[in-house]
Order: sequence, then C-alpha cells, then structure tokens
Amino acid sequence: MTTPAWLIEPETRMGPCACCGRRAKGDFVEKTIAGAGRVLRATMFSADLASEDGFLQRTDARVKVGSAVVLLLVVAFTRHVSVLVGLYAATVLAASASQVPARLLVRRVWLFVPLFTGVVAFPAALSVITPGHIVVPMGTWFGTPFGFTAQGLTAAGLIVMRAATSISVVVLLTITTPWPRLLAALRALRVPRAFVLVLGLAYRYLFHLLTSITDMYEARKARAPRDHDLVRGRAFVAATAGATFGKAHALSEEVYLAMVARGYRGQATAIDRGPLGAVDILVFVAVVAVTLVAIGVDHVVVH
Amino acid sequence: MHIPDGYLSPSTCAVAAGAMTPVWLSAGRRVRKVVTNRYAPLTALAAAYCFCVMMFNVPVPDGTTAHAVGAVLVAVLLGPWAAVIAVSVALAIQALFFGDGGVLAYGANAVNMAFVMPFVGYGVYLAIARHAPLTSRRRAVAAGIGGYVGLNAAALAAAFEFGIQPLLFHTADGTPLYAPFHLSQTIPAMALAHLTVAGGVEFALTMGVVTYLQRANVPLLRINHPTTAVHATTETPRSRPRWRSAVLVFGMGALLTPLGLLAHGSAFGEAAPGGLDLHQNHLQAVPDGLARYAGFWHHALFHGYDFSHDAHPAVGYIVSALVGMAVIAGVAFAVVSLISRVRSAAR
Repeated sequence: MTTPAWLIEPETRMGPCACCGRRAKGDFVEKTIAGAGRVLRATMFSADLASEDGFLQRTDARVKVGSAVVLLLVVAFTRHVSVLVGLYAATVLAASASQVPARLLVRRVWLFVPLFTGVVAFPAALSVITPGHIVVPMGTWFGTPFGFTAQGLTAAGLIVMRAATSISVVVLLTITTPWPRLLAALRALRVPRAFVLVLGLAYRYLFHLLTSITDMYEARKARAPRDHDLVRGRAFVAATAGATFGKAHALSEEVYLAMVARGYRGQATAIDRGPLGAVDILVFVAVVAVTLVAIGVDHVVVH
Repeated sequence: MHIPDGYLSPSTCAVAAGAMTPVWLSAGRRVRKVVTNRYAPLTALAAAYCFCVMMFNVPVPDGTTAHAVGAVLVAVLLGPWAAVIAVSVALAIQALFFGDGGVLAYGANAVNMAFVMPFVGYGVYLAIARHAPLTSRRRAVAAGIGGYVGLNAAALAAAFEFGIQPLLFHTADGTPLYAPFHLSQTIPAMALAHLTVAGGVEFALTMGVVTYLQRANVPLLRINHPTTAVHATTETPRSRPRWRSAVLVFGMGALLTPLGLLAHGSAFGEAAPGGLDLHQNHLQAVPDGLARYAGFWHHALFHGYDFSHDAHPAVGYIVSALVGMAVIAGVAFAVVSLISRVRSAAR
C-alpha cells in the first residue's frame, strides 16, 4: 500500500511572482505549527548559547541588564547615523567575544529590520512625507518636484540604525543570560516582586500551552490535511483557543495547589547572587565610558 | 502594533510608562483582592494564554492569515484588570525574549494593548451585552464587537503616538528624529489596516471563542460573570439608564477633543471664503453666492469659538466648549424628560 499523492504533496507557497504558476499562500495550520516550533527552537538555542563560556555569559546578569538599559537610552538619544553605526559595531564585537556567531546576530536583526522598519522608513525618505532638499529627483508630483530628500534619507537612516542597534542589544542580553538569572537581575534592579514572579511563571508554562496547541493543530492536520474551508478553519481556531483557555485555567489551579504544597503563602522569593565582582563593575564602567564617548561624538557631530 | 525601540522618543516612552504605572498598581491590587494568593498562577497562565492567542493564525478571505491580540478576549473571560496584567506580562516576554516590541517602548505598547484595548473593548462589550444571558448570541456578538472596537482604539492610540513624533522632535532643518510620519498619515494608515483585516480577525476570534465556550464550557464564562443568568428567563428586570457610563464616555471624548488642535490647517469644507486656495480649485475669485451667504449670520455668541477678539484664544476655546456642552446636555436632558413624561402619561 502506498501513501496517496495528495497526502504527501507539499503545501504550495507564495511564489516569487503571481504570474509564474499557481499562487497559493501558507496554510493557517502550517503557519501556527511553524510559529510555535520557531519559538521553541529559539528558546532551546538561546539556552545553549547562555551556557557557553564567553565574555557576556561570564558577566553578572545585573550588570548586563543595567548596561542594556543605559545603551538603549543612549541609542534613543543619539542624533547621528554614524554614531549609531559605531554602537552597532560594538554590539557585533561583544557578540563575537561571547561565542555568539556574528552571522547569527546580524541575520536575526537584519531579517527583522527590512521587514518592518525598512517598509516604514523607505517612504519617509520621499519629499511627500519629509520635505526638504531633494537629492535624488524622481520627477514631479502634482506640479511640485518629487524625490528623496536629504532630510528624509537621514530620518530613514536614523530609524533603521536605531531599531537595528536596539534589537541587537536586547538580543545579546537575552541569548547570553539564562532566564532565571535574568529574572533575578530584574528583581535586583527593583522591578516589583509580584511582576517578576508572574513573568517567571508565565514563561515557564508558556511552553506547556504551546506544546498543547501544536498537538491540537497536528491532530487537525492529520484528520483534514487539505481542508481550506474558511468557516471551518475559523471555527477550529476559535475552538482551539477556547479549549486552551480551559486548559490554562485548570493548570493555574493545579500550579497554585503545587505552590501551596511547597510552602507558598503569597510571598515570592528570588535568587540572591550577592555583591558584584570587580570584573563585573569594570565591565559596567567600560559600558558607561563607551556611552559617554558616543554622547560626546554625537554632540560634536551634530554641532 | 508592537512598537519597536527607535520609533518613539525617550520622553514619549517615559510619559507612557508613567501613565501605565498607576494602572499596573491598581490592576495588581484589584486582582489580588479578588483571587488573593491565587493571583500569581492565574495571571501568569492568563499571560501565557495571551501570548499563545497572538500566535494563532486565523484564515482570512484573501487566502492569507492574520493573528489577533486577544486583550478583549481575556478581559471578557477574566475581567479588564486581569487583562491589564496578562497582556503586560505577555508583552514583556515578547519584548525581552523574542525582540517583538521595544524595551524602552514597553510602556507605550502597554498603554495601547494592555490598557486602551481591554478597557475600550470591555466597555463596548458591557454596553451591548447588558443583561443578556451567558449563552445568548447577543453576548458573543458583543464580545466580537468589543474586540473589533478595542483593537481599533489601540491602533488609534499607536497612530497618535507615532504621529506626534515629527511635530515634537525634529532638527532645525526639519529632519524628523523619530517616527517621521505625521498624524494625517499615521491615522489613515493604521485605520486602513485595522478597520479591515486586523479588526475582522479580532472580531472573529473573540466572538468564536465566546461562542465555543457557550456551547462547550459555560463555567469558564461564569468566572467573570458570577451573577449573570446562564439561560434566558421569561421575566427580565427592566434596567435603568446607565448615566455613569454615558458621562464617562462623553467626558473622555470631551477631554480628547483638543487633540485636533495638533493637526495643521482647517477641516475640509470649513475654510472661510478668504482662506480658500482659489488657484488649487481653478477659480479666479470667490463665487458670488458663497461670498454673499458666508456672512449670513452675524449674531453668534462665541464667533470663531472666541469672545475676546482672539485676545485669549485658549480661554475662549475652553469657555466655548464648556458652554456648548452645557447647552447640548440641557437640551438632551429636556428631551429625555419630555419623552419620559409622555411615556408615563401613556401608561
């Protein structure tokens, strides 16, 4: 007995152009399974990287969180693209000193930036959005000159580089820090205890729910592999979401009882790592020095 | 709708985080008061659920898929204050771990999706569902409409945050320092996407889940509606008009009205003959009829929303607004009183 052809035929995807062959888009079942898989893969990969022996992995999580906030603030206040490029290069250097493949960091950031920021930034460079001195003329628009303006290109460059550098900083922080350490660092930096507790619990049980959803979607795929009916599809998504809510609510009760059995009385505790080491303090001072240099250069370039 | 870092100025992010702080504190206090020590696992699982809802791809007629936010759904199931915490935690996980939404922009994202969306959506849901039984079709549709309106309110808030950036933060030569689009561009762009596809998906998912739970698991709907009847009874109590809700909605509208002053130019079709761009309309002079009837009425109490010949435009604007609102409220009250008397007399 052989497997029927319709069962092993792959889902047709969006082609490079609507004119070349059948144009069909990704199935909602496939997309949800793939999305859940991506989250799980990214988490496992981050956990592996966080356990490597690198520069950032050795640095205390509190120093990394504090440094990330300082860097994000400097990136937000910077007004010149060249300074942002310098800060971005510093994040790539820090990645390569921490066993994080620079290629991975660049790919993770620059896959996101053109998709979201690029689409927004590109039209901003046009004279209809940002008027100014036209440096790339493209004809006329209702009788007025039209094209890319110097001001628009600068604004687009600023927004793209700011987004790229900010994402790099956050990605570096999270892929080099185990999640419990990150939570403990947030608590040490005076983030409310209740918020950190809920954040930790939510992250832990998120994967449980995701696995449950993936199971339901795979079961649907096995039962009705080629069902593209819109109404049935929506009803299935709603039923899955409703059933997941039921599971989440029942699980919350079980988790509470398990917590009470372990001595939980409404007060959360956090890991205490003690005072910072000399190296950690040195790293933080170095980050502050880099940011001061960046602010100084930005001030000089702007004026 | 997840705003990344770099789009909003640090001061906008600080204002948004400052605005959210009392909301978070109040939400924590209220949820803890209701579920006591259970608050941690309950809100954590609600947050994990919220994260998962954002991963559900819902098929749309074009053949593609889109995903919902689910803030109104959580508000309908667990209440708006629990939704504030659940969505905020889900946004924190997305920002910290998956780079979806900025860390500095976290406060702004929370304002849009964890505050505006659940509260506006839940308000609409309550206004439509009223005393309908838990298993009624009306309640499911109300949840869907709440999701649709809530999402669009959140999109409007995001568009506003984007749109004020070039007005407030730019260099001397006009280069925008953050998001470069003006309100006249951000509001239509966000409205187009959210009034059509995204809003439809939010409507379908929110209504679909409530419909499913009405059929399969009514006790879950009772968590947030402990006193509501499950099935329709023959005698439904006659409800009194809900003045507090109406005053709240109209009060919010009144407070938000001055936002229009941030926009350039005047509203379409409202320019005085002297302010018309004749060249753009291929005209040589103001048309006779328009010139003759434009100044037909000279006895306005607050001409041009002012009473002191532009000496104090802000005071004039506010006084005009207050007097206008008082007159409209008086007329509405008189009409409602008259209708009530006529109805009483008819009985």
